[in-house]
Formats: sequence, C-alpha cells, structure tokens
Amino acid sequence: MFIYDAIDAAMLKDRNAEFRDQVARRLSGDLTEAQFKPLRLMNGLYLQLHSYMLRVAIPYGSLNPNQLRALAQVARRWDRGYGHFTTRQNLQFHWTRLSDAPDILDHLATVGLHAIQTSGNCIRNTTSDPFAGAAADEADDARVWCEAIRQWSSFHPEFTYLPRKFKIAVTASATDRAAVRAHDIGLVLHRNAEGRLGFEVIVGGGLGRTPFIGKTIREHLPAEHLLSYLTAILRIYNLEGRRDNLYKARIKILVESLGAAAFAEKVEAEWAAMDRARIDLPDEELARIRASFGLIAYKKDPGARAAFEADKAQDRSFARFVRNNVAAHKHPDYAIVSVSLKAVGETPGDASADQMDVVAHLGETYGHGDIRVTHAQNLVLPHVPLRDVRAVYEKLSESGLATPNIDLASDIIACPGLDYCALANARAIPISQDIARRFSDPDRAEAVGELKIKISGCINACGHHHLGHIGILGVDKKGEEFFQFTLGGSGAEDAAVGQALGPAVPADKVADTVERLADAYLHLRAPGERFLDTVRRLGVGPFKAAAYADADPA
Amino acid sequence: MQMLIRLEQGRFVPAADDFFSLGAEGEAPAQGGVIVPFARWAELGARLLGEGRQVGVRLTSADPAQAMAPVLERLAVVAVEFPVFRDGRGYSTAVLLRTRLGFAGELRAAGDVLVDQAWNLARCGFDAFETKASPEAFAAAAHRFRHVYQASADDRPPAFVEREAV
Amino acid sequence: MSTTLQALTANDLRTGEVVFRAAEGWTGRFAEAQLFSDPLDARAELDLAALETVRLADPYLIDVVVTDGFASPTSFRERIRALGPTVREDLGPQTEGGPRVEALRRSHAAARSAGRLGLIRKR
Repeated sequence: MFIYDAIDAAMLKDRNAEFRDQVARRLSGDLTEAQFKPLRLMNGLYLQLHSYMLRVAIPYGSLNPNQLRALAQVARRWDRGYGHFTTRQNLQFHWTRLSDAPDILDHLATVGLHAIQTSGNCIRNTTSDPFAGAAADEADDARVWCEAIRQWSSFHPEFTYLPRKFKIAVTASATDRAAVRAHDIGLVLHRNAEGRLGFEVIVGGGLGRTPFIGKTIREHLPAEHLLSYLTAILRIYNLEGRRDNLYKARIKILVESLGAAAFAEKVEAEWAAMDRARIDLPDEELARIRASFGLIAYKKDPGARAAFEADKAQDRSFARFVRNNVAAHKHPDYAIVSVSLKAVGETPGDASADQMDVVAHLGETYGHGDIRVTHAQNLVLPHVPLRDVRAVYEKLSESGLATPNIDLASDIIACPGLDYCALANARAIPISQDIARRFSDPDRAEAVGELKIKISGCINACGHHHLGHIGILGVDKKGEEFFQFTLGGSGAEDAAVGQALGPAVPADKVADTVERLADAYLHLRAPGERFLDTVRRLGVGPFKAAAYADADPA
Repeated sequence: MQMLIRLEQGRFVPAADDFFSLGAEGEAPAQGGVIVPFARWAELGARLLGEGRQVGVRLTSADPAQAMAPVLERLAVVAVEFPVFRDGRGYSTAVLLRTRLGFAGELRAAGDVLVDQAWNLARCGFDAFETKASPEAFAAAAHRFRHVYQASADDRPPAFVEREAV
Repeated sequence: MSTTLQALTANDLRTGEVVFRAAEGWTGRFAEAQLFSDPLDARAELDLAALETVRLADPYLIDVVVTDGFASPTSFRERIRALGPTVREDLGPQTEGGPRVEALRRSHAAARSAGRLGLIRKR
C-alpha cells in the first residue's frame, strides 16, 4: 500500500489551507461565482441538483483500510451515510455543503485522501488496472507509474487551465481492465523485443458527444521518459487545443483534425527540444515509489487449493461466487476477490458507510491492506489467500456485497443520472434496476454470460455507454425519458464504439428490449461465443429485428 | 502611470510601469520604454529597437513564443495576455520563453490576472504582473505551497530532488 | 383546469440545498413557493435574486402548473429537484411527507405537456 511521505502530507495541508481561504472569500463575497467556480471544481466540488457533490480522488483506484474507513466516516458525519464509486475509480458524496467542504478535506487529509483536480479543466485522476500488482499477465506494476503521473500532474503550474478536462489511464497487461483506449492519453506498459520496459502511447480517445478510440502515436516509449513525453503532449494540447467551442475542446478533436501522424510529429519535436532531465524521474525516485507500495509477503499454503476446491464442491452458492467474482492471482495460493456493488435493486456503485467498513475490515484482516476500485463501479480485494476466500465470501454475503454477477448482465455501469446530476436528460439508476431485476435469477444471468451493459443519463457519457456490449443513452423525447441503444462497444483491448440499434425506446420498454437482445443472443450464438462475439459476427441486423419485433411504427 | 507588481529577488513589490503600451493604433511617445502589440511588430519593431530605447512586445494568448525568438535578446519586456484567467495558453508561452528561448528580461502577465493565479504565474516564469491585487495578497498566494512536485520555469526544486537531498 | 405560472428557485450558496422564493424570504419546500402569474413580476424577483451573491447560487425561473389546486413544476427535472432522488425516497425534501409531497409525486403525469421537445430540463 502506497505511503505518502512528509512532502505529500504538506501538499495536502497547503492545498486545504488555500481552499479554505478561497471558500471564505466566496462566502464573504470577495470572490464572485465566476472567479470561484474553477477553483471549486479543481477541489472536486460540483453544485448538483440537490446539493454540492464532492468527488474524492482515489489515485489509480487504490485504497488502504484506514482510507476506506475515513470515507465511511465522512459519509456518516457530513453526508447521508453512503458514497458512490465512479467510472474513474473515484468516490462521490452527493449531499455535502460548501461550508463543510474545508473540514471534510482536512479529515480526508489525515489519511492521505483529497479531492485535488477531480474536476475542472486540468489533469484528472489517473486510473488503472484494479488487478495491478496481483495479475499474472502484467509487465510491471502499473501503480508505480500512476503514482509518478499523479505527482507530476498535481498542481502542474503550466497545465492548470487547459482547454478542457484531461484523463489519463494506464494498464500493464494485454488484457485492458482500465479502458485506456477511451482516454485522452492511454498508456500500455509492456516489454519490447529486447526486454526493455516501455509505454505504447495512445492519444485522443474519449467518449461524450464525439466518441473516439485513441490512436497510437508511439509504439514504444522507454519508461524512464514517461513524464517528459507527457509534458510534450500536454504542452501542445494547452497551446493548440480549441478554446472557442466547449464541445470541440478535448484533445481528441485536435488529434482528429491534425491527423495522428502530424500530431505525433509535433509531440516528438517538442519532446526532442525539451530539457528532459529536469522532468523525468531519476531512478532513485522510481525506486522509492516502488518501495513505498510495499511488498506483499506471500505465504505458500500447499493445502489451500484442495480445501478451496472441496468448499466449492460442497456449496453451490460459494462455487457460483468463485466462478464469477474470483479471479486467478499470480501466486497460486492467492486469489483476486471482487466485491460487487451491484446488488439487484440497489444503486450501482453505491456503498453504505457500514458496507465500506466491512470491506475495510476484510482488506485489513485478510487482504494485506489492499483495496481497489474498478471503473465498473465495483471494489476488489486483490490479495486474498485462497484459504480465506470462504470467510471473505461469508462476510461479504452478510452485507449484500457478494452478488455473484461480475461482468454479467446485472453488473451494470450506470451514472447517477437525472436523480442526482444537473447535466442529465434522463434517469439511469431506475433503468439499471429494472434490467438487473430481469437477470436476478443467477442461473439465467450465468446462462447469458458476459454481458457488459452501460447506461448514461446524457451525452456526456459518464456511464461509458459507448463502450457497452449493450450501451444505453437516456434522452428527452417529447418530455419523456427515452433510451437509445447501441451494440457491440467495448472498453477492453478490443476497444470499439457501439453501433446504434434503432429508434429510442421508452423507459418502460428498456428492460424488455434488453431481454430480447439477450434471448436473441442465446438463440444465435455459436459455441464459446460471448454476447459481444455474436454481435460482432452477425452484426446489428438480427438484434435490431429482435428488439423491435412488435414495435409500433410511431 | 499604471502600477505593477514585480517579483524581485523572491519578493513581490509594487512598481511603476515604465513602459508605454501601444494600442492597435497610434504612435509611440518620443522617448521612453514602449511595448508594441505583436500584430504591429512588423510595422514598428525594427525602427523602435533602432532608436536605442527600451522596447517590449505584447503577445496575445494565440501568439507563439517562437515568433519573437530572433529579437528576444534585445527586448526589455515581453507581456503575455490572459484574455480571461481560464485561458491557460500564456503559461506555456511563458515557460517556453524562459526555458527554451532563454528570455532574461521582464516577463509580464497582463489581462485577467487574479490573485489566485499568482502561484502558477510565478512558477511559469512571470516576474511582473498587471493586476488589481495587492502585492501582499499576491505574495501570500504565490507562497502557498511549501513544496512543488515538478520542475517548471522557476528554480524551485521538485519534490524528488528534495527527497534525494535528504 | 390547469394554469401556468412561474416560481423562482436557486441553490443555497452555503448548503447547496434547493430553495424557492416564498412570500417572505426563501424556503426549502416547493409547496411554499410564491407563484407568479405576471412574467414581469417574476423577472423583477429574478433580478433581485441575482444580486444576492453571497446567499444564493444560480437563481432562475421555472414554469409551474396548477391542477386541482395543487402546484407542480412543469419540468420533470424540477420535480426531482423539489422532491429528491426518485430512487431514494428517504432523501431530500420528500422525506417530510404529507399531502403536499404526495401531490407533487403524483403530479408527474398531470404536469406533462405532450408533443414539445426538451421538456425534461425545461425551466
């Protein structure tokens, strides 16, 4: 678990003092709302439908038990007893007050948490693979590089006022669990033919009004030059990104208009002219960061696997949980356990303060103090001894955190939508609940298998609907909530933007439509095919026919 | 005469603006320092430099730092405009002027210059500020952070250098 | 019979809570909102509210329809602001309960006008 040092702690303290002063100046009228709003946003505070929403940064999705407990404390003391985990691995509190924000931030700072740059036209939280450090297929621990990026990007004086928000994601596995190709910069850590560690640099991905999958501008950047190369990209974006039109201000628009090759040339030229030695981290600092994550002292446990298999054989529910929510760890006597925040009937990604405490306790007792947030709005305990998976499962079950549905149809990504968000056109949460109820029978959910459904309440796409195997976008049609479907999107290494299915569907028909799509898949699939594979093989046609089979022409 | 804030030897002090800022039209006064808008540099720059007076240029947020490279050594002032404080291009322009192009004269922030950007401006190499804020408020804002995480145009050592020294 | 009026809403600057201009001052209860039949009066109140920069954030006018004596915002979004999230009936002003809250909840269908676009977010 990463340990902040005295310098990191001082940063938070100084930042909080600055923000406390800015809040006071706003409340006294010394700062106008126009002057204050960008400052407020850079401390993660939005004015939403019902209240101020505070978005707490969870750097690269990594938490220790004390941090998760502190989040529970904030929920109880200053909010309404729960929090919402987001598609950028952050946590949102939906009921905070501006007048409490400085105190909340001070409390978070005691455990090294903050809300720095979780909003605003600046570099946001760098997200990553929730299995980093535990996955067998990784080239290196992505978190080390994410921490390097976190520091470089925090309070970067040159890049505080970009044309628009900027999101970076890092993966170190061929299997992309961080959707890096849908980010402004996606980084794929790998070893080249000579065995040297480096990054594939992908730029210009993004969702929203104009979705793009990012383009590779550099196949292999030696890892030690990461920060200088990022500086080059950001400087070009800062200078040349559009500032005349909010909807054309992301880097994806710049890359598209210049062309990837021309953009890459500009980056390389700027990078070549730069004094890189001042920006790139020396080996000592990288080693210090690596060491600060600590080393898990894995214990061999030769009998564990047999006991584990015996447990599964005896308990069908446990076996189902393992099938869906437990992934293989790089160490044979450990497992990666997912914590589902998608109980049927609940709000996707929400966790009560009590539930947060339970996961903190499990992380501490069994999980080597390591807890992760996924971009699918679930949690992960990445280092659970095989011997302890049963005990973890039972404790999770007691608290409604063991729904065996990871990556299944009821593991839906949904933004807060019109129930909470000032930007929304439609509600996303009740739609997700309707759909989840249709797949609440675990046998049916497993029969359908991997089906990633993603719902956004507006075109800003915080629910990542473009990347859904089934994507659902809420729109306002004649004053009613209607939903547009897309099919065949993916946020993984086979990244793609979904294709439109057909006319928008009213709210009360959405769950029916999803069932028809699932049933069509069951009918049409070839052996071994997931829903996504069948869609890619057959195209949208047969699914469109199934979805609209008895639709009114109106 | 307009008052400025200058950053001299780490201290923010009030100062008189010794320069006349030319507008889109009109002539420079007979003598004294003059700042020329970038759009009029082709028309006026060489002549004014030839008069042996202090000359500066005023860049808009869209004007590239590189454009002044040939004459930078001879300029006393480069003023960079922020049309609105949220337009962050001037920060990159300033960094390039200082670090890439080695500009050693007065680097002045102009336009919508607010106290909450003092820290960014100073770190990016600005040492003069056309602002309504007081020098005291500016200094307080600029010194907000005891440490910095990354190198910029100033000489503050980034955290990783501080850590090495320990 | 329905009539269309206006109300004035904002968020409280300190707390972020939804507030409505009442006969005197501001209230968190939509039921107490002052209803304006004259757009000029409504506009005058909005201009005054815009000056209250340390008390309010983002004041604006909303359309309200009165049906069978009960007032309700025309827009679905404003109804959610007045009540709270539809998925957490234990949160927001709706927790107060009572006949006014119930009427607001039920008014969803009555408040709709068919055929026009962009009504959910319409103020």
